[in-house]
Amino acid sequence: MTRLVEVPAQFDDRSFDQFASAFAEAAKDGERLLFDAHAAEWASPYGLVGLLAAGQAARGAGGGSGGSGERPLLTAPTHADVLTYWTRAGFFREAAELFEIHGKVPRVKAAEESDVLLPVTPVRAAEDVHAVVSNIQQRASAILASELGLEPKATMGFAMALSEACQNIVEHAGTGGWVAVQAYHWRRKLAKRVVVIAVADAGVGFRHSLEPTQSKRFGTRWGDAAALEAALIQGVSRFRDPGRGQGLAGIRRYLARWDGKIAIRSGTARIAIVPKWDDDVPLKDGLPAFPGAQVLIIIPEQGSTKR
Amino acid sequence: MIQHIDVHAVLQESVSGVYTDLVTRPTGRVVRECIERAMATGAAEVAVARIDFTRVGCIDYSCADEIVAKLLRSRPGVLVLMGVSDGHREEIEPVLAGHRLAVLIERPDGTLEAVGAPDAAAALLEELVARRLAARSPGGTLTLT
Repeated sequence: MTRLVEVPAQFDDRSFDQFASAFAEAAKDGERLLFDAHAAEWASPYGLVGLLAAGQAARGAGGGSGGSGERPLLTAPTHADVLTYWTRAGFFREAAELFEIHGKVPRVKAAEESDVLLPVTPVRAAEDVHAVVSNIQQRASAILASELGLEPKATMGFAMALSEACQNIVEHAGTGGWVAVQAYHWRRKLAKRVVVIAVADAGVGFRHSLEPTQSKRFGTRWGDAAALEAALIQGVSRFRDPGRGQGLAGIRRYLARWDGKIAIRSGTARIAIVPKWDDDVPLKDGLPAFPGAQVLIIIPEQGSTKR
Repeated sequence: MIQHIDVHAVLQESVSGVYTDLVTRPTGRVVRECIERAMATGAAEVAVARIDFTRVGCIDYSCADEIVAKLLRSRPGVLVLMGVSDGHREEIEPVLAGHRLAVLIERPDGTLEAVGAPDAAAALLEELVARRLAARSPGGTLTLT
């Protein structure tokens, strides 16, 4: 039997919990999953890498009652523009390994010159992080400086933030993940251009990663929310080396300077550093369970925002 | 004697001939170990090691910690960083402050500045003058002797 997981028509961080809920419900009996994206109208980088993480988890869980590792199914969007965008964003290149794809996928290359600053890119090892940072500096510097009004030295900070976000996968997830970076005009919140970094994996998540060193300290409060709080707010790491745990703190400092936002979802919780221009909730617990960790970083165009 | 170590060259030889960025802990660890080996070869005569970041792209917190902070903690000698851009400095400084460490940065005009934790930075400058490794100009700036 195949269980259906509907992909939201507008698939981004705000609709992700709806997707996670459908995924958790469908995945609980170990049947093969069908991710239905035929009606998708738009997906943010967060939605795209999150969908890949779901595919990774569904496949890892066995993908069928026989536990044979059978790939989950994915129906591609039917709208031509959506299909072309998902392809240009590099989604299908990665999805082909994870899903049995139904629907006609156009043969267009992943974007080389566009608002897709970094197409969906796998992150499995330190070398992948090197490649990501090198690519983003070549492709994004002009956009960060000219369109977002960031100082040239902020480009280096941007690369640092990207590097540290990707390293979380390499060092903590226990599996590979994906990153994507895109610039777009964000009418809904800001009426400004933004650059968005989205990173997702279906690995062990923050709670599992930090449990051996942190759970006693939190006692009965220990859980996904406490783990996220420990990592993002207190800068703790599973490593005892005193220099560890600086990566997320560094991202926070960078975002504070450029009025940016970070949100991390892991397990059943989500934490965010919320700038004034946003109305997100700082900490949510009791969300539908979703494997691994999903990171969203948003840097807005500078100008009216104070540094 | 002042020993000069080109970090870009170390990165290219030890990790990748393609990339110019100091990112990820494994990269930082390999680069630091190469620098430590280079320092060990001339340890007897070397009073100051000048670590040159010229041509290094970006450095992330992991590499700043793995290279700069760990070199400072392991090596009793004097380290001077040169070729450090504003972007490099923004990543290195908070890492050192977090460890209550400081390092000397040599500006393009040759003057020295101590960055990191304020107490450690002040102590570092005093030590440098006391050991006569640096001298103050009439204007109050410090340069290596």
